[in-house]
Amino acid sequence: MKTYFKVAGILGLICAVAAVILAWVNSVTAPKIAEYDQSQTLMALEAVSGGFDIGEKRFDDTSDTVSYIIPLTQNGKSAGYILELNATGYGGAMKLVASYDLAGEIIAVKMLSNSETPGIGKKSEDPSYMDKFIGTGGDGEVPTSKSQLSSDQAQAVSGATVTFTGISKALDYGSDYVRKQGGR
Amino acid sequence: MANKHLHELTKGIFKENPTFIIMLGMCPTLGVTTQVVNALGMSAGVLFVLLCSNVMISLLKNVIPDSVRIPAYVVVIASFVTIVEMVMHAFVPSVYKALGVYLPLIVVNCIILGRAEAFANKNTVLDSALDAIGMSIGFTLALTLIALIREVFGAGTITLIPIGDWDGVVSIPGLRTWPVRIMTLAAGALLLMGYLKAFFGWYSEKKQKRG
Repeated sequence: MKTYFKVAGILGLICAVAAVILAWVNSVTAPKIAEYDQSQTLMALEAVSGGFDIGEKRFDDTSDTVSYIIPLTQNGKSAGYILELNATGYGGAMKLVASYDLAGEIIAVKMLSNSETPGIGKKSEDPSYMDKFIGTGGDGEVPTSKSQLSSDQAQAVSGATVTFTGISKALDYGSDYVRKQGGR
Repeated sequence: MANKHLHELTKGIFKENPTFIIMLGMCPTLGVTTQVVNALGMSAGVLFVLLCSNVMISLLKNVIPDSVRIPAYVVVIASFVTIVEMVMHAFVPSVYKALGVYLPLIVVNCIILGRAEAFANKNTVLDSALDAIGMSIGFTLALTLIALIREVFGAGTITLIPIGDWDGVVSIPGLRTWPVRIMTLAAGALLLMGYLKAFFGWYSEKKQKRG
């Protein structure tokens, strides 16, 4: 019985020391990480704003796909929206920001956080990856299957179909969502 | 004595190469070798964590009771990985972004646990550190070789670290336009690993016969 307590005590001690060290490192790094993440999001919003003025962020609890919506304005008039979208890829959850005009046409898209496979699904972080979606969603449909892409574009997403489908479905949903806002 | 230290350092490079001979850490090996730069990033992470964990476990070898050594090792290794992850995220976000996916993978890399169990808990701190460095060099060479073959054939490029204006990508004419796509996929990784293992098996057998 005594040995059990001794062994458990030593293991507990190792865990406690590790926990204290980790807590200390976390207290030092957490504010820096939060600052960095915020600057990244701000940069992404600037990048997709398409030159319009960025308005006040509104969170949406009713939709699983849209986390928040930001109205875009030009000279005080409504010009479109930025949405933060939650998509599901091969490696789990992906977050992206996309801007739409009032008709639901995609202006720009940027991938934020994801756990996709490097060299395969991770390629969606390249700015050129999103080119195939820009200009769609208004009159033209958002391509949600490979057959709707040109052969070059289809080859670029082959091997990473799950990533592509996840992104395109979220963007398609966003296009409908924006149209339902009716310029508000 | 000096010879023994040298042996601990060099054995991991070829004779006991963790990937091709001991066959440890296959999961991350097959997972990340789609680009050369990924292989280098993963290797850097493994070098740091393996060195820290080998030294720490060698120091604690008389403190940790035998019956709970594995959970104790896992706590030590996971702590180092988490520290590396947090520090990188906060202070060198660009490196963190490039390595982000591999860092948590290092916890489950059995090279780390394997060396703790097979070497560090029986040997001195110096030998454990040398073993870690040697094994990491062997791991780096193996990973880079696999990644180089997979990327050249599968994508027609060699992706290295971008320096200044250069984006770090070397294109190979011909293969860039008509790549053997399967090499970048999981099946290609297993196929190549099989061929390389067969080659190294044949080579060491030949060497043994001659010796």
